[in-house]
Amino acid sequence: MNTIRLACLLGRPGASGRAAIVLPVVAFGVTTALLLTVLAGALAFFTWTGGAAASYQVLAVIALALLIVPLLALGGSAARLAARRRDDRLAILRLLGASAAMVARLTVLESTVLAVVGAVAGAAGYALLVPLVGLIPFRGAPLGVASLWLPVPVVGATVLAVAMIAAASAAIGLRAVVISPLGVRTRQSAPRLRRLRVVIGAAVIAIAFVVLNLTQLFGGLGTIAFVLAVAFGGALAVLNVIGPFVIGVFARRQVRRARTAQRLLAARGILESPKAAWRQIGGVAMTSFVAVFAGTGVAVAAAAGSGDRQSVELAADIRTGVVITVAVSFLMVACSVGVNQASAILDRRSLYVSLDRLGMPIGMMDAARRRAVLSPLRIVTVGSSLVAAVLIFPLVGLSLIVAPLSLVTIAGCLAAGILLVWLGLVATRPVLTTALGTLPDAV
Amino acid sequence: MLEAVGLTKTYGSTVALAGVDLAVPAGESVAIMGASGSGKTTLLHCLAGIVAPDSGTVRLSTAGGPVFVNELDDAQRSALRRSTFGFVFQQGLLVPELTVVENVALPLMLGGMTRSAAEQHAGSWLAALGLADKLGSRIGELSGGQAQRVAIARAQVATPAVVFADEPTGALDSHTSTEVMDALIGSTTERGRTLVVVTHDEDVAARCGRIVRLRDGRIVETRTRVGSSGEMQLIETPDAGHR
Repeated sequence: MNTIRLACLLGRPGASGRAAIVLPVVAFGVTTALLLTVLAGALAFFTWTGGAAASYQVLAVIALALLIVPLLALGGSAARLAARRRDDRLAILRLLGASAAMVARLTVLESTVLAVVGAVAGAAGYALLVPLVGLIPFRGAPLGVASLWLPVPVVGATVLAVAMIAAASAAIGLRAVVISPLGVRTRQSAPRLRRLRVVIGAAVIAIAFVVLNLTQLFGGLGTIAFVLAVAFGGALAVLNVIGPFVIGVFARRQVRRARTAQRLLAARGILESPKAAWRQIGGVAMTSFVAVFAGTGVAVAAAAGSGDRQSVELAADIRTGVVITVAVSFLMVACSVGVNQASAILDRRSLYVSLDRLGMPIGMMDAARRRAVLSPLRIVTVGSSLVAAVLIFPLVGLSLIVAPLSLVTIAGCLAAGILLVWLGLVATRPVLTTALGTLPDAV
Repeated sequence: MLEAVGLTKTYGSTVALAGVDLAVPAGESVAIMGASGSGKTTLLHCLAGIVAPDSGTVRLSTAGGPVFVNELDDAQRSALRRSTFGFVFQQGLLVPELTVVENVALPLMLGGMTRSAAEQHAGSWLAALGLADKLGSRIGELSGGQAQRVAIARAQVATPAVVFADEPTGALDSHTSTEVMDALIGSTTERGRTLVVVTHDEDVAARCGRIVRLRDGRIVETRTRVGSSGEMQLIETPDAGHR
């Protein structure tokens, strides 16, 4: 049987199979729509001319650097989701004697098809968003729809890029199935994360700290902006590297200290896969990281507000840009949490059924699920905020003196992020109820 | 005593139970047999309060008086399963990320016992079932027979009045199956607890005191073991389906 026919057979949705197909498509769709919208917004500034155009272009690059890593993380998360949802079936195929090459081809094909469908839907979503985004004012006038339309080849290339990310993630994520089908099938091993992650992360942060502070002392505006963009992007990538390790360390401590069933289940659930826990809440870590910069940016803009008309306008536009950046980050978080939670419930349906049989109330299961998300969330929110504060320590100190309201902005952003995650959890409770087949009026 | 009267249950147009009467005295073991789709698992789920019947009653005699399982709400049924029932399923349905001792301690922790006390209690049950050296192991590291013994320990640890087992040996070879049934019988009826087993396996059913056969949602045959030891026989009971 060839790979395409096999893919068609496996593609027939069952009860949970439909969700296995819909969830990744939605995730790819949201990722693509946001990616195109952010790209269009940033490129719009590059059509401008005049004295302040260069400043806007530099700020657009910084915003892109801030958003591109979490966007890629969300895209990668969607791709892994597309591949992981098929893990069991593919591992069974491997056990039945399908060749490693066939399993790999099948995985890549399935994920790529889902990604293309989602990305095309996302492109349509971008087209719907453009009229709204065009209303946002910059330099005293709405941005305008015309400047936000991306050339068709750029849209096509973006769809292609999303598909390629999906294919690559699927191939990497399914290595375990190809190498050791039994290992995946029976979930024998609990993954352990290397301490090397922390060492690399700490080294990158230290280097970024030194470079940033030297640049602030000696560099020109363009150099500062460029180095800031690279350093911010690098720091976000570092968060992705050390985040899972830190979560794992805290989870081990929580396992030892757990006194109740829900605390034990939550801690063990996190420890089972700190990477998966990170993927669920990593977006908020990114947002809190961005929020520290946002607060600082607002403070600096306020301090510069007493100058000429152009400076006032620039400060107002920076504020707008900061709000947009944080809002888009929140959107990514909302998508990530919703999709990951719904998928996690479907993946772990048999676990929830067994707990239900034991007499564990659904409210207690929900409490364990909430704790498994919110506990690492607290850890990474504080951690990533500290990393950001360390990176631009002098600027943060300055903003505290000239505009303490920046602290309120940061706190508000973090509170909004946590609230959004909580809402994401609440929104997925019906999935849990349905998965258990215990709707109150159905028993 | 666990007593069901006139149980009916349908799923869409499929009739799973069509008026089942069954009484299981305390300390007795009953095997429920039948072809796939005959309604045996639905009967077990109704008896255990996992699903509510469309009509009929399930009455459980307790020290505090009779409890009508079918009249309880979701939270009350959950509480009943925690305190009074134990479950063993074909796949074990153990929590994969918990260790062996944590899995067994879980029902006690759900009932409010402290973790250390629960794990101590769980450890002694596991030791009694020959798993003293597996307390810290993960479920994925166990053989099928070992996993089922963990499931049996988990079902027994809260000293339930009734243990329900759904195809407890379905995924095991005959030798391991015998070991698991030894453990199951030894920890239930031999300690005065009630055991209700759903099985396809005649050898497993033969270990029970009574065999009830279902077809199309009705009890069509009941056979009761007579005698006290040695060569016991199974006797046909023509008034099948009734106490």
